[in-house]
Amino acid sequence: MLGLGILFIGGLSTAFPNPKTYVNRIINIEVASFGLLLVMLVYDETIALLTFIAVTAITTFVLVRVIERREAA
Amino acid sequence: MFVYNLSSEYEAALIITLVCVIIAFWAMVREKEDLHRLILTDLVEIMSLVIIALVATDLAEALILPGLVVGIAELLALSELYIEKENLRKDPENVLHIEVMDSAPGILAVIFVIYGIILSGFTGGAVAGLGLLFYFMCRGSSEKREIIETVSGYAWACWVVAFIVFMALPQYWFFGVIIAGAGIFAKVAAKMSVIGTMNGGDSDV
Repeated sequence: MLGLGILFIGGLSTAFPNPKTYVNRIINIEVASFGLLLVMLVYDETIALLTFIAVTAITTFVLVRVIERREAA
Repeated sequence: MFVYNLSSEYEAALIITLVCVIIAFWAMVREKEDLHRLILTDLVEIMSLVIIALVATDLAEALILPGLVVGIAELLALSELYIEKENLRKDPENVLHIEVMDSAPGILAVIFVIYGIILSGFTGGAVAGLGLLFYFMCRGSSEKREIIETVSGYAWACWVVAFIVFMALPQYWFFGVIIAGAGIFAKVAAKMSVIGTMNGGDSDV
């Protein structure tokens, strides 16, 4: 339930960020990710949790790279 | 957590998650800019994974793993497409470069790879691949790609041999399991380290 609450808040803040910048949106996605992690933790889905952490790290790398290119142009 | 009455809780959780999904898709519809849409795709992916995770069985867990893999592949492809479309080929002048990226990569990569070898299998491959990815991202590489592809090919061959062992010689199942574990370990690690070489062959790092 706590996980779902955090998921809801994160989703809302990602959908409508206050200063609408890219980085702000990524940080808000991390909040929603934490909600998903808590849900997985409650239901004992260990491997999915670990893989999700790894994938989130790569995702952040990729998105930051695209944003760097975007800001440089 | 202790196990409680799952059905009513499951229904409530499903309703909350569906509201989240509706919010995410609504934001995506209202968004005009492409890069924001790309980030929102990630959000939609998270919401979809929650729906699967709420089922709380081993089957659901097994379904989440390919979902994650497909999600990261899609994100990589879309980001490359976006860069091509907007003609952002010009290298940014202020690439993220901090002191840690000069000193840490070797040590961290070795630690990750050793831990991954101990874990073996899919998860171990992911861990070792993350170490290699970090190394390539910090050091930059262009000529190592052929080695990675070769390793990937041999890993695929190991995987196939292991399955032939399973089918033809079932009494050697343990041998097959070991070969399959090693094969998928090398496969996943190689594929993930290819991601690290995406930054191009910039040797200024």
